[in-house]
Amino acid sequence: MSCSKFETDIALYAGGDLTAGQIARVESHLAECAQCRALAEELRAGQALLGELRDEPLEDAMVAQVRRRALAEVGRADFNPRGSLAPLLALAAAILLAVVLLWPRHPANHAPVARMEPGVALPDATPVPRVNITPARHRIVRRHRRSAPAAQPGPPLLVQFVTDDPNVVIYWLIDRKPEGD
Amino acid sequence: MMAWRRENTGDMAAFERIMSQCERRVLGVALRLLNNPQDAQDAAQEVFLRLYKHLGNLDETRGYEPWLYRVTVNVCRDIARVRRRSVGLEEMPERRLGPVAPQPDAYQDAERAQQREIVRRALSCLGEKERAALVLRDVEGLSTREVAAILGSSENTVRSQICSARLKLRDFTGRLLRRR
Repeated sequence: MSCSKFETDIALYAGGDLTAGQIARVESHLAECAQCRALAEELRAGQALLGELRDEPLEDAMVAQVRRRALAEVGRADFNPRGSLAPLLALAAAILLAVVLLWPRHPANHAPVARMEPGVALPDATPVPRVNITPARHRIVRRHRRSAPAAQPGPPLLVQFVTDDPNVVIYWLIDRKPEGD
Repeated sequence: MMAWRRENTGDMAAFERIMSQCERRVLGVALRLLNNPQDAQDAAQEVFLRLYKHLGNLDETRGYEPWLYRVTVNVCRDIARVRRRSVGLEEMPERRLGPVAPQPDAYQDAERAQQREIVRRALSCLGEKERAALVLRDVEGLSTREVAAILGSSENTVRSQICSARLKLRDFTGRLLRRR
């Protein structure tokens, strides 16, 4: 095995990250390779310096400043230990908006369907359309004069469709022919 | 462990106690990961605020050190990404170190301090993940398994990262020493 293939193992060896079998293999190579021994020495020296970094004392003022700032922040009256409520409020608002926008205003098609059935007469013999509106509730308002003068066209017949949707009201104005025609 | 159970009440006294135990370690790790005293202080402050928020939810059986390390690494990563600090050599926290105990051989001591300085600078040249793995493993002295748990990686990944980081560190330090 060439030295370059040992490089990785030597780096792990220097930090004590190899198993007993791997250590034996690396040490066997180090015993016969001066170049790799030098590498191992340099890596060990680096390890020692890294370990010393941990023991370096930090400036007391720096530590105290962190403590002071953290305690001040925690002690603030408005500090919420469970975090800000803003994300939750935003989520709730988004859900509410989605529900309002997507909620079906009517369970089914609310557009009224009108159908005229000829031949159906009202008691005063005035032809009045029969209107079926499905599926919404409907109400027909009939406005007409019972006693129109003879040979005069009667006033127009107004049919009002009232659906479940208060915003949808359909007016149907029907001209009546003069009586006797 | 009993002490932790008693402290796990979310009160200010427990928070202060834990903070006083861990503040130097948290700040030290942040300093080595961020390579900037101001950023390290900001990171440490954020770590302790998160500690306060989650004090009642921490798993007492696992202790709080792994949690603190994990949060420190995450906070430092976030700060580094936001601020995009360049790892300038002049930003090293040389003046933020406390007084060193007098040594019999002042020259040797100064030389050692200089070497540590070079290693610190070399550390800052590593990538984010390699630096975190190396700081936790070789500076903090955690096991590979602990580092893997903190970083959310596999042990093999951490082993690969620290191996690569050690070799790069050796190259960087060699280069910096030759430059002097």
